[in-house]
Amino acid sequence: MLVNLPGPWSPLLGRLALSEIPYTNPILAPLFVIIVLAGIALVVGITYYGKWGYLWKEWFTTVDHKKLGIMYIILGLIMLFRGFIDGLMMRTQQMLAVGSGHNGMPLMGAIHGYLAPFHFGQIYSAHGLIMILLAATPLLVGIMNIIVPLQIGARDMAYPYLNALGLWITAAAVFLIMISLFVGDFSHNGWFGYAPIFELAYSPGVGVDYWIWTLELVALGTTLGSINFLATVVKMRAPGVTWTRLPVFTWTAVSANIIALTSFPCLQVALALVGADRYLGTHFFTAGFGGNLMLYTNLFWLWGHPEVYFVILPAFGMISEVIPTFSEKPIFGYITMVLASFAIAGVSWIVWLHHFFTMGMGPYVSTEFSVATMLVGIPTGVKVFNWTFTMYRGRLTFSSAMIWSIGALFLLLIGGLTGMMLSIPAINYMVHNSVFVVAHFHMMLLCIVYAVFSAIIFWFPKVFGFKLNEAWGKIMFWLFSAGTFLVFFPMFMLGFMGETRRLDWPFNLQWAPWFDIQEVGIAVYVLSVLAFLWLIYVSIRDRAENRVGADAWGTSRSLEWITDSPVPFYNFAMVPHVNHRDEAAWRREHGFSDKRPEKFAAIHMPNNTPVAIVIGALTFVIGFGLTWRIWWLTVAALVLTVLVMIYRSGKGDPGYIITAEEMEKMDRESRQKMDDGHAPLPKGGGYTGGTVTAYSAEVGDPGSQSTPPGNSRPLS
Amino acid sequence: MLKKAKPGHWRYLALAPLLLLLNGCAKHSAWWIFNPQGVGAKASYDYMMIDVVVMLSIVGITALLIVWFMWKYHKGKNRGSYDGKWEHSNKLEVAFWGIPIAAVAFLSWAVAVHGSFAVNPYNPTVITQHMKPKGDPIDIDVIATDWQWLFIYPQFHNMAVANELVVPAHTPVFFKLTSTAVTTDFFVPQLVGMIDVMPGMRTKDALESSHLGTYQGIAADYCGAGMSWMLFKTHVVSMADFQHWAKGVESSPNTMDYAQFNRFAEPYINVHNKTPVYGHVEKGLFNHLLLEVMNGKKWPLPMFMTENMFHYLKLQAAEHRA
Ligand code: HEM
Ligand SMILES: [Cu+2]
Ligand SMILES: [Cu+2]
Repeated sequence: MLVNLPGPWSPLLGRLALSEIPYTNPILAPLFVIIVLAGIALVVGITYYGKWGYLWKEWFTTVDHKKLGIMYIILGLIMLFRGFIDGLMMRTQQMLAVGSGHNGMPLMGAIHGYLAPFHFGQIYSAHGLIMILLAATPLLVGIMNIIVPLQIGARDMAYPYLNALGLWITAAAVFLIMISLFVGDFSHNGWFGYAPIFELAYSPGVGVDYWIWTLELVALGTTLGSINFLATVVKMRAPGVTWTRLPVFTWTAVSANIIALTSFPCLQVALALVGADRYLGTHFFTAGFGGNLMLYTNLFWLWGHPEVYFVILPAFGMISEVIPTFSEKPIFGYITMVLASFAIAGVSWIVWLHHFFTMGMGPYVSTEFSVATMLVGIPTGVKVFNWTFTMYRGRLTFSSAMIWSIGALFLLLIGGLTGMMLSIPAINYMVHNSVFVVAHFHMMLLCIVYAVFSAIIFWFPKVFGFKLNEAWGKIMFWLFSAGTFLVFFPMFMLGFMGETRRLDWPFNLQWAPWFDIQEVGIAVYVLSVLAFLWLIYVSIRDRAENRVGADAWGTSRSLEWITDSPVPFYNFAMVPHVNHRDEAAWRREHGFSDKRPEKFAAIHMPNNTPVAIVIGALTFVIGFGLTWRIWWLTVAALVLTVLVMIYRSGKGDPGYIITAEEMEKMDRESRQKMDDGHAPLPKGGGYTGGTVTAYSAEVGDPGSQSTPPGNSRPLS
Repeated sequence: MLKKAKPGHWRYLALAPLLLLLNGCAKHSAWWIFNPQGVGAKASYDYMMIDVVVMLSIVGITALLIVWFMWKYHKGKNRGSYDGKWEHSNKLEVAFWGIPIAAVAFLSWAVAVHGSFAVNPYNPTVITQHMKPKGDPIDIDVIATDWQWLFIYPQFHNMAVANELVVPAHTPVFFKLTSTAVTTDFFVPQLVGMIDVMPGMRTKDALESSHLGTYQGIAADYCGAGMSWMLFKTHVVSMADFQHWAKGVESSPNTMDYAQFNRFAEPYINVHNKTPVYGHVEKGLFNHLLLEVMNGKKWPLPMFMTENMFHYLKLQAAEHRA
């Protein structure tokens, strides 16, 4: 052992011991029992219905980008719920604890409220990490996964196996942070960690180690994903999909993934150095022995700020798809929309210092970063104006997807306003580290959540072939919005009242009424969660009535709406030939939305593989072994991972061929399934003749032909 | 279960709107950020107002536009004319880039640049510009431990107070700050903004108060389990009262040498809000501490220290630190 570990260690179990399991904790112990029982019920149920084979074949080993996307989204929603429960516990703690009275709960070991600092610290740290990296990120990656290949007319991602690997490594991170609930403890130091408090001397438990390895795993998964997205958009575009015909959502996916690819390694390095400090006894970020704790803060936010734009940009993309569809107009200012995305991505690299103006770096440096930060406000403002003017002269339908998107706009306005306040050092000194900051970024992150719900409602029919219930989508929207207002308006007010963040004992009784209002807001949020579950239930129950055709909304615009709903596993029976940025709208206007391919060709699809899930499981074991310092386990899992990788590399994947005849048959079946639906297929009418290329003639490499052939028709 | 442990502050709920109004004018306002009582905090407040007015005018107009368009172009209501091809306008796009550029340019110059110098913690021009030659500034060395504050007054016989700060009104006070173990922030919302306090390093800050009173000081950055209790009241008193108070502290028999400080700096949660005074602390304690920490001195935390706070308080009492 290179460092002096506080507490016992054994070669077999590392730091693990029975006492690390909180079986006396009145919250965790029952929760554990419930989860175990639920788990057993699930396993028994699956076995009883004989579904293991189905799950394994269709889901666990799949490389289909849509199924992987669905699993990403399910993972994200589950973690959104877990994060929400953390939020509920924090709000309840502050409401109970506020003021100087004797209001503690001896059973829980708390002298104020019901959570001692030991527990409260873990909860907000897990909340932040989960919400940003294990809820928002998987939700966005999932939606990008499903939609980006469809929007560019590809059959799958460039690297289907890598795609599966990204999912299962992210899932490993989720398992690691979930297991920290019941085995050992989690970090106390916030989602971003502080130097030097995360050093072994000041955080002697395994919490920080859980935090390091969870983050390392998501970072790895996300980096792999970003390589894949970039390769896909660059290489896999169908004929006719020129750069200026990429839908805005795909553009934002590109800009976001450039950020991810370039910034996540920075986080991985920073955390590896923290790991070196804790495991090897180095002094990168210690206060003494030449360490530099400010370096950590810089490295972290050098990733951390680009990361927040990594998550907001795809959300901007979703809004950019939903608003035009329900305004029945193209997006206003396409070119500036794209430029603005890249401006945001570019500037996001040079602003990280605004997260610690209070470090005292002097007025010149502060000013530079202050101005750079405000620069981000310019393209963000442009985007909001463009969305607003997309609605101008439109025909607005306030479907549930649309109102979620409009809700996101308002949150963005508030978040932008408060962001512009925070970016000025003179103001920042007064509200930094206060709940004002917390409220600011929740506006922004909720903007993302709104966009995600909007996107889920919007694209659900494409993936599953039926619409979600509109009424319950709206009820959920209003409940969720009421919750948002009741929780975060008071939070802004508390910021102006000087409440700093992360207080497990808010000492000032004057804050009490606001905490109570927030608690009411939490209750309303609970209702919105129930409304969401009910929404899913009624939608599935009534799915037969809500079947849709290819163009689910009748006013859809981009390429994904020309293929069948639900999208068949091969995406497009024939690779489409794209004539316009808003291909679906263009085909509708020119009256051949229902034009099917005249002839079919054989296609090449990738095989399923169990390798990805196996490597995912092994990375979990590595993370767990490292956290508890069980060296034999870590090394064994590491060696196995490498062996599996070598095996897979040697074997490769030849894929398989679907013949033209089979394609034709499958296409007919898929179409019949859709025609059985009750929603009318948009029928062609106004097609005035002339030559139009609707499907590419050759199979070949779809990306090989990325400029439009001469005979494609411009939109009149 | 949760209900029972609750003090009856639900009743405040009904008063919430009332409180909002009352607090605006009350002297001991709850709206600390809006009621600055120090020169620096006041400057920050003014900059905030400029920023909010500029930004709110843009954001507000945009919000109104959105609402208006939602109303006017509602499908089927036939209030506005539909143009499904309209997707571009050079004039508008120039305006869309121009408006935020102009706003950012103005804010950069008027608020970012000016503000950064005006309240620069190391040399806040709002304070130093008008420094009266006769009103000698006061120096205070601030040491943050896990989880207490020690304020040393070098000009006053090196006397010190823990967890309580006393300063004379209308007098510039210059702080040097460091920490023993981990990083936190020094913050008195109504008097002075935040500044990081870091182990093995020295930062600076300055405040000048404009009103007598008692203001809450906070450890604003997360620094471990005792943070919530790491509070200090800041008393702004008249110069005469200050002199009088200092006399009293200086004559305290209680002193602190480096060994005693070592003990003082051990992890301690100030649940009982103790504010001991020291007539004299060892000369050069601040610099000595800086060097020690740079050479690797630590005050490690025990495992599971705050898992049960009642247990911790018993330990504290047993060690005669309660
Ligand atoms: C107009 C654009 C924006 C500006 C000017 C802005 C400005 C800032 C500033 C100055 C801070 C530091 C506050 C402090 O700690 O004192 C901050 C914090 C933060 N912002 Fe933004 N921001 C903007 C947009 C966003 C977006 C789009 C997101 C993404 C969801 C976001 C998420 C965050 C987060 C998560 C933090 C705080 C992290 C933490 O301390 O835990 N912001 N923002
Ligand atoms: Cu949160
Ligand atoms: Cu930032």
